[in-house]
Amino acid sequence: MRTPAGHKVYAMAAEYPSAAALYEAAKQVRDAGFKRWDVYSPFPIHGMDDAMGLKKSWLSAVVLIGGISGLLTAAIMEFGPSSFLYPLTVHGKPTNFFTVPAFFPIMFELTVLFAAFASFFAWQLMNGLPRWHHPIFNWERFSRATNDGFFLVIEARDPRFTENETRDLLEKSGGQHITIVHDE
Amino acid sequence: MSDRSQALPTPEGEYFESNRFAGLSVLVGLTAFVALTLSIAGAMIDPHQFSFSWLFAFAFFFTLCAGCLFWTIVHHATDAEWSVVVRRQLENIASLAAVLALFFVPILVLRHHLYEWMNIPPGHDPAFDAKRPYLNWHFFLARTIFYFGFFILASFFLRRLSIRQDKDGNPRCTLLMRKVAFIALPLFALSLSFGAFDWLMGLNYRWFSTMWGVYIFAGAAGSSMSLLVLVITALRSAGYLKEVVTLEHYHIMGKWMFAFCVFWAYIAFGQYMLIWYANMPEETQYFLTRNTESWWNLSMLLVIGRFFGPFAILLLRSIKKQPHRLCYVAGWIVFMQMLDMYLVVLPSLHGTGIHLSVWDFVSVIAMGATLGFVYLQIVGRTSLFPVRDPRLIESLRLTN
Repeated sequence: MRTPAGHKVYAMAAEYPSAAALYEAAKQVRDAGFKRWDVYSPFPIHGMDDAMGLKKSWLSAVVLIGGISGLLTAAIMEFGPSSFLYPLTVHGKPTNFFTVPAFFPIMFELTVLFAAFASFFAWQLMNGLPRWHHPIFNWERFSRATNDGFFLVIEARDPRFTENETRDLLEKSGGQHITIVHDE
Repeated sequence: MSDRSQALPTPEGEYFESNRFAGLSVLVGLTAFVALTLSIAGAMIDPHQFSFSWLFAFAFFFTLCAGCLFWTIVHHATDAEWSVVVRRQLENIASLAAVLALFFVPILVLRHHLYEWMNIPPGHDPAFDAKRPYLNWHFFLARTIFYFGFFILASFFLRRLSIRQDKDGNPRCTLLMRKVAFIALPLFALSLSFGAFDWLMGLNYRWFSTMWGVYIFAGAAGSSMSLLVLVITALRSAGYLKEVVTLEHYHIMGKWMFAFCVFWAYIAFGQYMLIWYANMPEETQYFLTRNTESWWNLSMLLVIGRFFGPFAILLLRSIKKQPHRLCYVAGWIVFMQMLDMYLVVLPSLHGTGIHLSVWDFVSVIAMGATLGFVYLQIVGRTSLFPVRDPRLIESLRLTN
């Protein structure tokens, strides 16, 4: 979609006076059936997941897999050398399974480390990061999203997106400064 | 903010109708009476075994009550909002500390059976003589009085102020309770830690562990949160708090159960591993007793049942949002706390292996039924939740 002047359209955006107004607007946009849209606020808004109709994120599954692979890595790297390849009796401690208390700290740490890595990188991937620039920054008002602005942005690639109807919806839901955001 | 349209509760609050449960109250009271009578018989017939059984039951119920006091204090100190709706039950259980102080009297009477160090004459054991400035009867008694004084006063003031706010809704009460909480927080840490040192670690005066206070605290906090889940669910299934406590509150309580399941394991393992690794006889004796003979089985059950099982189950988000399933886990954790206290106390008596005694059961039933009876008497006296707390509405509309 392009503007009459020939600019490619990224989205239509609106500003809301408060977190509560943004929350109510999100419910209306959700009920209107939009899929590719997002809200922006300086702080997390409780209950926004439901208001936006977001399903449970699959991040937790990735983190679980990361944690389990960390645990297995530690177990193999510890029991492999210490029990099978080069068993060495230290402090009169056994070299079989019963030496596991000495190995727990490493198992714990690698579980946490791998889970943290998994969550960090999967989260980046899911959010389309890292990237140098985002079209939403073409809108000057948007800089207040980190200060005191509450924004709702519906992307033009959403199948339900039409200029007039989307504008009506944003107006009806109490949006102010409704604007078209250019893509480049 | 939430999708749920919340009808505000009436300013009168919700009351537990004691008449409706008069039958239950009488039944619990009768059980308590019979079991307490049997306990007196037990103290006469077999004072040695009975004193340990009684201390085991005391440790179990004391940690549950102390944990509830901990959650009340933390609620006020951190100015929490989610726990407003469940706070009154925490206050009710915490104020049972006064009854537990009475239950400590038999331990004082039977102290010579429990605490070996009380029978050692001066000059007999140099290792003990070095500890005598701390481990002597008068100081022990003074400390015990101090601990109970703290637990009783703190729980009394927090409950009293909370009830006063029910009547006038004065926000000053909230500020006052916060001040009480700030004073109570360090005193709680000291009282619970040193109480654990004196009453439980003192069973073997040769043994010591600097982690001991934290270990007992970790078990207390996790199991009392589980007890809260059970109490709240019982009240809900009796028809109370239906509109007040939501699945979101269960979710948070489940998260705390999970957190303290991990914390308990962290502390318990930290204590175990350092002693295991250093391998010094004066430290390993505690675990040697508990990891040999038939005690080994119970120790393994504790490791798996207190940590690995609940950890795997509570990892799921869905289980925390299903009260009845969460209750199975909560009941199991409370049972594991009982096993934990059993493993702390009884091996010092039966070093050669598990030896179940009828007095173990009688003590637990006597104390449990008495505490249950007193709880049923006080739960109906006030609203089931702090009905005029300034943060009540935020708590009702909780989402997480």
